[in-house]
Amino acid sequence: MDGLLELAASALRLGIPVAICALGALWSERSGVINIGMEGMMLTGAFWGAAGAFWYGPTAGILLAVAAGLVMALLHAAVTVSGRVDQIVSGVAINILAYGLNRFFGYRIFNMAASSPDVPGLPEISAGGVALSWIVPFAFVLTGLSWLVLTRTGFGLRLQAVGENPAAADAAGISVPVLRYAGVLLGGAFAGLAGAYLSIEHTGMYVEGMTQGKGFIALAALIVGNWNPFGLVGASLLFGLFEAMSFRLVQSQTLPYQFVQMAPYLLTLAVLAGLRGKTRAPAATGQNWSRDET
Amino acid sequence: MNGRNQILLLRFAAPVVSVLLALAAGALFMLVAGYNPWQVYATLLTFSLGRADSIGSILFYATPLLFAGLAVAVALKSGILNIGVEGQYLIGAFCGAWVGFSLHGLPGWLHLPLAVAAAMAGSMLWALLPAYLKLYRGVHEVISTILLNYVAFSLLHWLVAEVFMDRNQQIPAGLGSPLIRTPLFDAAVAAPKLHGLLRLFGLDVPDYIAVNLFLPLGILLAVGCWFLFRHTPLGYEIAATGQGPLAARNVGIAVNRVQLKTFLLSGAIGGLVGLSHLFGYYDSFDLDFPRNFGFSGIAVALLANNHPLGVIPSALLFGLLQRGGEGIQAFLTVPMELVVVLQGIMILCVALTMRWLDRLLLRRERGTGA
Repeated sequence: MDGLLELAASALRLGIPVAICALGALWSERSGVINIGMEGMMLTGAFWGAAGAFWYGPTAGILLAVAAGLVMALLHAAVTVSGRVDQIVSGVAINILAYGLNRFFGYRIFNMAASSPDVPGLPEISAGGVALSWIVPFAFVLTGLSWLVLTRTGFGLRLQAVGENPAAADAAGISVPVLRYAGVLLGGAFAGLAGAYLSIEHTGMYVEGMTQGKGFIALAALIVGNWNPFGLVGASLLFGLFEAMSFRLVQSQTLPYQFVQMAPYLLTLAVLAGLRGKTRAPAATGQNWSRDET
Repeated sequence: MNGRNQILLLRFAAPVVSVLLALAAGALFMLVAGYNPWQVYATLLTFSLGRADSIGSILFYATPLLFAGLAVAVALKSGILNIGVEGQYLIGAFCGAWVGFSLHGLPGWLHLPLAVAAAMAGSMLWALLPAYLKLYRGVHEVISTILLNYVAFSLLHWLVAEVFMDRNQQIPAGLGSPLIRTPLFDAAVAAPKLHGLLRLFGLDVPDYIAVNLFLPLGILLAVGCWFLFRHTPLGYEIAATGQGPLAARNVGIAVNRVQLKTFLLSGAIGGLVGLSHLFGYYDSFDLDFPRNFGFSGIAVALLANNHPLGVIPSALLFGLLQRGGEGIQAFLTVPMELVVVLQGIMILCVALTMRWLDRLLLRRERGTGA
């Protein structure tokens, strides 16, 4: 029983950053902007989160991480929504920029390119013998809130309209650029928070590449969860469970650990391959829009 | 000047303008970060272009980027973003290495081509899975290739550290632990160096800089790709598919088959990416074999606006930036990662300028009533 509880806690710890990131990607894609720079934004959040926590403590770290995510997202929004550059191209550039910036500032701030010193975390919640970060329950609150705002408020419905049919939304007097900026910025804030969780709460330091593709897994979770907040959080936690189980498999030494390491990625691929046509992206996601080009 | 020439001029000028824009944006970043941009750029340029060893380094650094840029550009022509060149070239390099260390006694003219063929085949097979997933299971290649990159990293770790690890390394007593690497390559597989040729041009490149045969091969391949798109039916089909899959289907192009071929072609070219380092510089496949060429290749292709010949100056520029990065770190203690930031800014500037140009041309067309 204890073992099961520990496995569940472990799955939560590993799945929560994916879930937060996927929620961010949801806001962005629902407004019509694909963001494959989520990985880079998460890493940027992890780096500045660690820097903030190192200077002023964990709360400041989290705020700084969210701010850093917002800055990167603002760049993505400016380039894609205003500059109308291909969204995937911009995302690739964001990932390259994030890698370079993190190493650059790593040298400047910590005198090391690839990691930070240990940083303090928030006090943990302990219940029934397992300890979790405060960000874990907060992520569930964010999930409920995202659903509520997206489906029950004027802002959320307008944002969805822009992601489904921007021309119609525009004709109805909704500002497509404003809502797309909002969607992308929300995405960046979530990615920053997910990064802060990884460096401040999960690892206790920043390490280069510490997201291990979680920003991309989050995009897969978005597809598996059919662009629905509850669905994508479920998919993210399932990924966390894969990862938690694979750690235990490594300890039991039944398989070379490299195969265990690749299993979550392969399983994610297999799920995506099995889903063919069963989920549907917002109709206009990935397509830039402007009144004078239609 | 007639309209056609004007458009051609704009198309050539746009990348140059965007690089200048990127340098200006980079200067702004340096000012904010507390450096003197004039000093940084001046050191970067004089160090990169003022010495024979720097020129050699630029050519050496540019070689893998040439192949990586072509691999990405070819795929993008048909509308596929092959982010998986990263995993593909690493798998390919391992397959090449395997031919390099397991065969002995072959002449060089046979051994090296065999290793090259193995690398291309391995990389192509690694590209087959995302190609299948995209075309037959509807999984977007950006997601599948990224996930497969992580699978490739783990697989290579297993192959190098467990299966093929060289356990007969001679280590002087008390001097460290064995390297995690494959057995040494047969000497016949080493790529011929270009130093003699460069000396004809008055460039005396030191021996430790391993500019080799793969550089001219990459340039030839770029010309080959240009020819493919310019003068062959397959190239036409690839470009038509990339321009608009629906229209291409309507004129009778088998879009799925064309994209499958392109994806495999991109994978095969990707297999060449690591070989100039593998057979020119290393003597075995090491766990620390250089990474990130695949990702840089995306930047190189975007900067070249997907033009195969444009990949050549684009790869050279990235090689120059990398060498310059070493210079500014050594002489000004500016972190060399500054050049990675510059590369990111460049992609954005190029993409923005190209979009702006497209819009300009569109507006002109509408304006003239065409």
